[in-house]
Amino acid sequence: MINIGIPSKGRLRNDILKIFKKNKLNLISERGERDLLGSINNITKVKILYLHAREIVERLGDGSLDLGFSGYDLLKESEIITQKKINVIKKYNFGKANLVIAVPDPWIDVQTVADLEEIAFEFKDKKKKRLRVATKYPNLTREFLFSKGVTQFKIVGSLGATEAYPFTGSSEIITDITSTGETLSANNLRVLKDGLILKSEACMMRSKSALKSSILNKIVKLLSKN
Amino acid sequence: MKSKNLSEKILKLVKSKGFKYIDLPSVVEANHIVQRSGENFRKFIFSFIDQNGSELCLRPDLTIASCLRYLENNLRGKEKIFYSGQAYRKSNNKKDSIIRNQIGFEIIGSKDEKNDDKEIINTAIKSLSDLSYSTGTLKIGNIEIFNLLISKLDIPKRWKLRLSRHFWREDYFNDLLKRLETNSDVDPTIVEVDKKRYLKMLKDNQQTIFAGRSIKEILKRFDNKIKDPRGTSKGKNVSKIIKEFLKINCPINEAGEKLNFFFKKNKINLVVDQKYFPTSLNKIHKLNVEFSASFGRQLEYYTGMVFKIDIKLKSKNINVINGGRYDKLISDLGSKKQVPAVGAALNLNY
Repeated sequence: MINIGIPSKGRLRNDILKIFKKNKLNLISERGERDLLGSINNITKVKILYLHAREIVERLGDGSLDLGFSGYDLLKESEIITQKKINVIKKYNFGKANLVIAVPDPWIDVQTVADLEEIAFEFKDKKKKRLRVATKYPNLTREFLFSKGVTQFKIVGSLGATEAYPFTGSSEIITDITSTGETLSANNLRVLKDGLILKSEACMMRSKSALKSSILNKIVKLLSKN
Repeated sequence: MKSKNLSEKILKLVKSKGFKYIDLPSVVEANHIVQRSGENFRKFIFSFIDQNGSELCLRPDLTIASCLRYLENNLRGKEKIFYSGQAYRKSNNKKDSIIRNQIGFEIIGSKDEKNDDKEIINTAIKSLSDLSYSTGTLKIGNIEIFNLLISKLDIPKRWKLRLSRHFWREDYFNDLLKRLETNSDVDPTIVEVDKKRYLKMLKDNQQTIFAGRSIKEILKRFDNKIKDPRGTSKGKNVSKIIKEFLKINCPINEAGEKLNFFFKKNKINLVVDQKYFPTSLNKIHKLNVEFSASFGRQLEYYTGMVFKIDIKLKSKNINVINGGRYDKLISDLGSKKQVPAVGAALNLNY
């Protein structure tokens, strides 16, 4: 049996479903739209699993999915050991979003990551605290900040509504995924000039331990056309 | 080091120099480590959560464990201590062992800094006497000289702090030098826009806090940044001076002379006495003694004299001892007072 993972909700799910449809792969679920299991019409031995986009990456990593669709950001955020077990086959032209660093807009003296580096040391030396960064992407954030000289900070894990953190006293700055930047500016945050951590888009990924199957190869080929 | 015998001999020797043996806990609070070394250091530590939710980690380094002991036991005054055991650290390099066997010795809380530096180096050299190495090098550096040089250069204060902060991270430091040589870091168009905002914010309540920073604080820094811009030509010259400084490498007895020549040539108001260095002998036992201005970058916590000993053992080059002064480590870990400290660690993994 070949297992294929598709995001269970959101825009990413809809966009992925579209490319299946476009390539005449008809997805069916016995119990309707909310069913988390499905199959492809007229193709046996393929199971479709509707999962959280983050979980799709994990399941590709442990080999319980053979093929999966998720965001490039989520792949890069996963542990190295997971990333090593996954090949990106196709980057799509949708699901585009950037992971960025944003600071409170009133911090007019902070325009670049270099400014942030100074502020981080000010927090440490003068306030005896560490600058707190709220994020759903601790790994990518930590690596990026460190590579830019910001070594003194503390990650605050966030599960959502990260934009509110600086104004509720939970963190000073954030990193978050954004496509237009509207949510950020609506929440009085500003992206740093050189604050782009990662460009992301929807991807088709294959587990390195995926079954060797001509059906799978055929599906991959079809869906690679975009 | 294969022979247990040898490590016992070394411990005996260190003890004979008046150092007191101490036991150190294997597990320390992760917070201490991250607090001092920054979030990225998490990558290297083995951490776990205890039943109360506190994050603990295997000691990544014996020096930190020893400084924590000094701090947590409210010790005061001079202590000469030594210890041996394993430190645990993750590594990206497959060849590195995650378990590092070390012997360390330290002088903590003594104000006689120059003599202590000498004593640690001498003990380090003596501790090698039972190893049958053919040749070797004792390399000495000093981060204080670098920081003094930076303080005398013609660049904005924020750049001085930045260069000092990042001396120990070679790649990023080189990036900084590159940036210093090229564009200025204040963008004139953005400044115009923000100036309007600045004037508006001046009228607001200066005590208002945005994400931990008051308006007063924000405007002050904005003001400093604009009033203290950095010119490209000056930056180029400063970068040239720093690069030239970092190339200084010579037998230790020429260090003072070489440095003073360099300072004079670049019109920097600094003089270093040869006595400033812990030794002026170019050869001690089988070791060639060198000064290197760029040396001392492997650890963030060194603040003054730094040294390392590499020896040739069975035709392999081995870094056997690393040491130096870390006067800010104990205060960084939470002490209200600065406590001078100098020490060295003997690597037993070979």
